[in-house]
Parts: sequence; structure tokens; C-alpha cells
Amino acid sequence: MLKQVVRLLMAALFVSIPYAAAAAERLPDPVKAWNNHFKTWAVVSIVVYLVVTVPLIYFVFKYKRRKKDENGAYIEGNTALEILWTIVPMIIIIMLGVQSWAVFNDLRDVPKDHIEVKAVGFMYGFEMYSPEGIMTLNELRVPVGNIKVNLSSKDVIHDFALPAFRTREDMVPGENTYLWFSAKEPGEYPVYCAEFCGSGHSSMLAKVIVMKKEDYEAWVKSKQAASSTTAALTPDVKGKELVEKLGCLGCHGIAGETKAGPALNGLIGKSEELEDGKKVVIDEAFVMEKIADPKAKPVKGFSHIMPPNALAKEDYEAIAAYLKTIK
Amino acid sequence: MSTQPAGFKSWLFTTDHKKIGVMYLVTSLVFFVVGLLLALIMRTEQLDLTKKVIIDADLFNTAFTIHGAAMVLFWMIPVLLGFLANYMIPLMIGAHDVAFPRLNALSFWLYVGAGLIAVCALILPGRLDTGWTGYPPYSIVGPANTAFYVFAVHLLGASSIAGAVNFITTIITLRAPGMTWGRLNLTVWGLFGAFIIQIVGVPVLAAAVTLLLFDKYLGTSFYDGTKGGSPILYEHLFWFYAHPAVYVVALPVFGVVSDIISTFSRKKVYGYTSMAIAIMIITVVGFETWVHHLYVAGTLNWTRVVFMWGTIAIGVPTGIKTFNWLATLHKGSIELTTPMLHALGFISLFTIGGVTGIANGLLGFDIQVHDTHWVVAHFHYVLAISMSMLCMGAIYYWFPKFTGKMYNESLGKTAFWITLIGAMIAFLPQFHLGYDGIPRRYWKLPAKYGPEMKVAVIFSYITIVGFLMTLYNFVHSAIKGKKAPANPWNSLSLEWQIPSPPPFYNFENIPTITDGPYEYGKPADNTVKAH
Repeated sequence: MLKQVVRLLMAALFVSIPYAAAAAERLPDPVKAWNNHFKTWAVVSIVVYLVVTVPLIYFVFKYKRRKKDENGAYIEGNTALEILWTIVPMIIIIMLGVQSWAVFNDLRDVPKDHIEVKAVGFMYGFEMYSPEGIMTLNELRVPVGNIKVNLSSKDVIHDFALPAFRTREDMVPGENTYLWFSAKEPGEYPVYCAEFCGSGHSSMLAKVIVMKKEDYEAWVKSKQAASSTTAALTPDVKGKELVEKLGCLGCHGIAGETKAGPALNGLIGKSEELEDGKKVVIDEAFVMEKIADPKAKPVKGFSHIMPPNALAKEDYEAIAAYLKTIK
Repeated sequence: MSTQPAGFKSWLFTTDHKKIGVMYLVTSLVFFVVGLLLALIMRTEQLDLTKKVIIDADLFNTAFTIHGAAMVLFWMIPVLLGFLANYMIPLMIGAHDVAFPRLNALSFWLYVGAGLIAVCALILPGRLDTGWTGYPPYSIVGPANTAFYVFAVHLLGASSIAGAVNFITTIITLRAPGMTWGRLNLTVWGLFGAFIIQIVGVPVLAAAVTLLLFDKYLGTSFYDGTKGGSPILYEHLFWFYAHPAVYVVALPVFGVVSDIISTFSRKKVYGYTSMAIAIMIITVVGFETWVHHLYVAGTLNWTRVVFMWGTIAIGVPTGIKTFNWLATLHKGSIELTTPMLHALGFISLFTIGGVTGIANGLLGFDIQVHDTHWVVAHFHYVLAISMSMLCMGAIYYWFPKFTGKMYNESLGKTAFWITLIGAMIAFLPQFHLGYDGIPRRYWKLPAKYGPEMKVAVIFSYITIVGFLMTLYNFVHSAIKGKKAPANPWNSLSLEWQIPSPPPFYNFENIPTITDGPYEYGKPADNTVKAH
């Protein structure tokens, strides 16, 4: 019996070595590598499930109790068999582990020819920065190629999950993390926050827009041209841009809806009750104070999770001017 | 012999391990119902993925927070390490009581106190919405009253540490003459492993949440990345205990499965020694797995690889156990009673959870499914539903012993099949969502998963109905059940050799043990080597 087991194990090992070696070979495409890994796992898992459940059901029928005081056979165990079902799972697990390690290396080792962009998570949205320094909210525009995304967060832990490219990584305040992906096909790919971050967690969505190289360059040019004219903008138009750029709209609606924070339209002139019971009428000064230090003068009925901002004086005024224009 | 005191006060001030055990059972079942109701609410909310059904995002967050905490910390761990350990360990090892009966009572009342705080966290303002993990900075800057969380963990932790000290001492020192380590029920082995994990892990969790308390209310910065701390530190400390905590549940469950299968197959547990060794291996290796919860948390790449091997290595002892269970059934004399059905149902659900858990452990695989519905589906198969189901099986199995009444067999079987059918299907759709990378803890999921979630919701309802039928069976049978004989299963295990319910001091005289608990059909001659 033991001899047979050993022979079987040798055969299994012989079959598995080249397989493991092939799995360890680097596949250039992480998405393809992951899909292959999934298939291997699925086949192994289905086999394991059948190996457990088929005998289970068979034994229950085959060895049904016939007589009332009947005993089962007296068997203490079988060392060879027990070694067999220790070694075989071990081999399976080593094979899967080696393959997974290879996939992991593909997913984490950034190729040398890559473009670096930046994404910053906040409650509730993503600020994306192109290599040229153009900031966009909740959409990351990149040209076709290998993209490394440097990640960080402004407030709590978020996650930049990019399922289309089989990758994700947490965005941790005070720390820098990264992920990379190979953008091959132009198109839009959804981004999710995958680390629980509060009320707005399930609406913290964004997208990666992969563009043809020439389209991307045209987009960069148009953005740069637009920003050079910003200086000449009127305060309320500048305020609108700031509100969009700073990510205020993650928590504040502009169509009367209450999200994590109050709606911004009609805010100025509204009267609210503070947590200490005082009533205030919201004016420009109050808004400017709250943007700089959101925890001061807490308004009743909201959680005070907005991060503080340090803006230039004219930026505060611009935002206040903008808020006055939306009713 | 002392006589058993009676009346209400006899419960309130009791130090009797059996009464404390029953109080643990009742309290943990209350939390199980709370957890089920929260599941019901959350599932109902998932009926429509485009708009609010009954609760908003904030209440949804509170619901999954308390659902997780209630199910793991206040139901599964207490029913096994509170009820089962208390009631069964002294009976199984042949002792009058536990080593420290008054400490035992303190453990129980600390658990009740922690439970009351958890209820406060659910209903008072500043509802806990951090997830049962309580990750900073959200638990620090967010709106929740994190103090509820911290103090509940403190009380529960004190309860767990006291319990672990008590039972480890009991198992080591109070075994009856002749009750060698090789003659212990595997249930006792499983509990022994679980208590070792508790005593090593719980203090770390207590420290982690204490620092959280300091950060939130006293302005320290242990977990503030901008002031020299790190939020990742909390994740490490938390999972150092909280991952092994699943083995705290799993190990006793493994033991109970062995006991039930042996009794109803009337056959010795196959490979007893390897079963006990597998339990102790999981106890130790379980502490080399926790970083898989931080696979995408910016952890060093090579650290992730180290912990991948630790994580998937757990598959080997678990596999040994599963195959030994199958081998125990082989050539047995199998009777499909309600507890036996639960044990077999457990194996079928647990295997789904097991293979998908290997997927989570596999580093490259996990990156796509980390923090997605895949994980939710996985741990409901491997831990939540399968092990809750097995706990029901354990209660059925020892029901005649601790109540002295028989449960309703046909209702028990009907409830089992309803639960199993619901559980088999309820979480399958979520593997699909996970494969697509859709994150968990989302109040509203992308609308295209509407049909999948409807299936999930309907079968969750079925599962919940099954569980509630089981609970009804318990209550009804405890009051109106037929009187149970001392040993309705003709088991050879020690706890069945005394009257049902057991007398106040368990054993008139401490018995001398001459053989193990599983020696069914042992040949009369001495040609077979006994343990």
C-alpha cells in the first residue's frame, strides 16, 4: 500500500513540476495572467468539491444503518492514506501558490516604460492629476500605454479599485501607495472605492478614460489653454471651478439634495440651528469660515467629517460669490 | 453531595458550569436573532439597487457593523466557547465543575455587559457605522461613538481572557483518572486550541482598540499618518487577533463535527491522532495568516508573499480533517438524525467556503476580489452560515442532555433542508459580483446586478426562515418536548453516561476512564491497540 502511494506521489510530482515552471514564467499581460490563474483555480476547486461531496452522499446511502444496534467497522486509521491526503493537498497548494506569486509579480512590477499619474482619494471622490499637472475630478484620462498611479488620501482610507485591469490598492492618508495597469484599448473603465469610508462609500465612483495618444495630446492642449485664461475670470465663474476642482461635490449637492453635507444651492441666506442651539443665518463670512475650519460652529444634523482647507483669500471670496449665484 | 438550589436567584448568582452554559446559550441565541433581523433588513434594502427601499446609507452602515459584531463576537464565539465549553468540557473530561467557578460566572456577566454596550451602539445616537473592523481614521474622524466599540471589546476581551485561563486550566488539571490526552473528545481538543488562540490574541486586540480610544478622545496619534502614526498599524493589530478569531470558531466546530459523525456512524473517528494534530497546527499557523487582510493596503510586496504561504497552508490540515470525516463515514452504520444532517450539511457548505478561501489567500487572485462581494460570499459559506448551521446541529445533538427533553425530529429535519437550500444559493450570485470586482459594504450596488441580488435576497429569506424554524423547535421542545433518556444516541462518550439533565455535581464519584469516546465496535480481544 505504502509503495503504491509513494509511486503515485512521484507520478504527481513528475506531472506537476513542468506545470509549476510554466506558471512561474512571466506572462507580459496581468489581465491575461489573472484570467488564466482564475481558470486553474476553478478547475482545481470543482474537482476538490466533487471529491468531497460525491463520496459523502454515496457513503450516506451505501452505509445507511440497517439494524438498530449495528456498529460500524472498527478502523483506527491508515497511515499511508492519511499521508496521501496530506501530501496531495500540499502539492495542489504549492502549485496554485507559485502560479499566484507569478501573477502577483505581474500585477505589482511596474514596467520601465510607463507614465506616472496621481490619484488622491477624499470623502467622497477622487482627484486625478495627469503628468502635466492637470487636475480632473473622478475621471482619469490617460493615453494608451503603461500607467503607474500613485495613490494617497486626504482624510480616511479609500481604495482605488480598477477591476477591468484586475488591480486595486488602498489609498492611505499619510502614506504613498501605487498600482499600475496596461491601458491597451481606448475606452472607459469604472473605478470604485473598495475600502469602507462612510455614508458616501457606495457613490464614490470614478472612471479611467483611456484615449488614443493624439486624442490625449489634444485634450491636454485644450486644458492648458483654458487654464491660462482663468486669471481673467469673474469671481463666481472661478468659484464654480474651485468647487468642482476641490471635490466639494462629493458631499454637497447643487440641486437641493442633502448628501453627507448640505446642498450648496440656496445655502447663503438660509437659517440653520447650530449644535449648541443657536440660530444663525448663513452669510458669506460664515461660509468662508466653514470652508477653512469645518469643525467650528457645527450645524445640527450633520456629521462633521469635512477636512479643513487652506485657500487664498480671493479663492474663499470666489466660492462665496459662486454660492450666491446658485439658488 | 450538595443539592441543587432552585429559583431565580439560583441562576443569577450561580457558579455552576451547566447553568452558566445555559445562560450563555440563551444570550447568544438572542444576539443570533438580532444578527438575523439585521441581515433581513440589509437584504431587503438590496431588493432595489436604484433607490432607498427601507433604510438610508447611514443606517445600512450601522446594520452591517452590528450584524458582523453580533454574529461573530456575540453569537458564534460565545455559543461555542461559552455554552459548549461550559456545559460539555467538565462532563467530557469527568470533572465536577471548571477550575475557577466564580471566574466563570464573571466571564458570563462581562459578556452580558459587553452585549448591552453593543445594543447601545446600535440604538443610541452616534450609532456605530465603522464596520466591525473599526478602521481608523474613519472611526476617529467619522460620526460614530467609537467608545461603544472600544468598551464592548474591552469587556468582551476580559470575559474571553478569563474564560481561556479557566478552561485551559480545567482541561489540563481536572481530567478524570485515565482520561489521557488521547482519550479526549475532539470537541475538547478543538476548544483547547480555540482557548489558546484567545489567550494569545485577545490582549492584542484590546491594546489596538485602547489606542483607538486615545486617538479619538485624547488627541494622541498612534493611527494618524500625518502625525507620525499609521492607520495600517491598527489593521495589523486588529487582524492579528481577528483573523485567528475565525479559527476560534472553526476549531470547536471541527471537533463537534467529528463527535456527531462518530456517534451517528457508530464508528471510531478516522485518524484521531492526525485530527488532534491538525487542530493544533491550525492553532499555531493561524497566527501566520493575518496580512491577507492587508493584501492591498500598501504592505511590502514580499511580506504579502510570506503571508500568502501561511494562509494557504491552512488548507492542508483542513483538508486532512475533511478527508478523515469522509473516511469515518466509510463502512460506518449511518443514521441521518437532525444533528447528523447538520454535520453533513456543514461539510458541503464549508467546502465551498474552503476552496473560495484558498482563492482569497492566493495573492495574485485576491487583488481582484479583495474587499468585494466575493469575500462576503466566501466567509458566509466558510464561517457564517455553515458554522451557525453546525452550532444548531450541536444544540440538537446535546439538546436531550442539557434540557432532559427530546426535540421534534421532523420539524428539525424540515428546518435543516430549508436552511441548507437557502444557504447553498443565497451567496452564489455574490461570487459573480466579486469576480467583476464590485466592492462590498455598498449601500447601493451598480444597477445591472439587480437580478443577481434578487436571487440572493430571496434565498437569504429562505435561510432565515429555516433558522427561525430551528429556534422555534428549540423553544417549543424545551417546554413541551418528551422526556429524554440518559443516552438517546447510545454514544460511548462520557457526557452521555450520566442522567439527562446531569445532576448538580455531574458525577457521584469521579469515574476512572478506561477507553476513548469513539471505540464503537471495538473487538473484545486485545489484538487491536487501544489509544
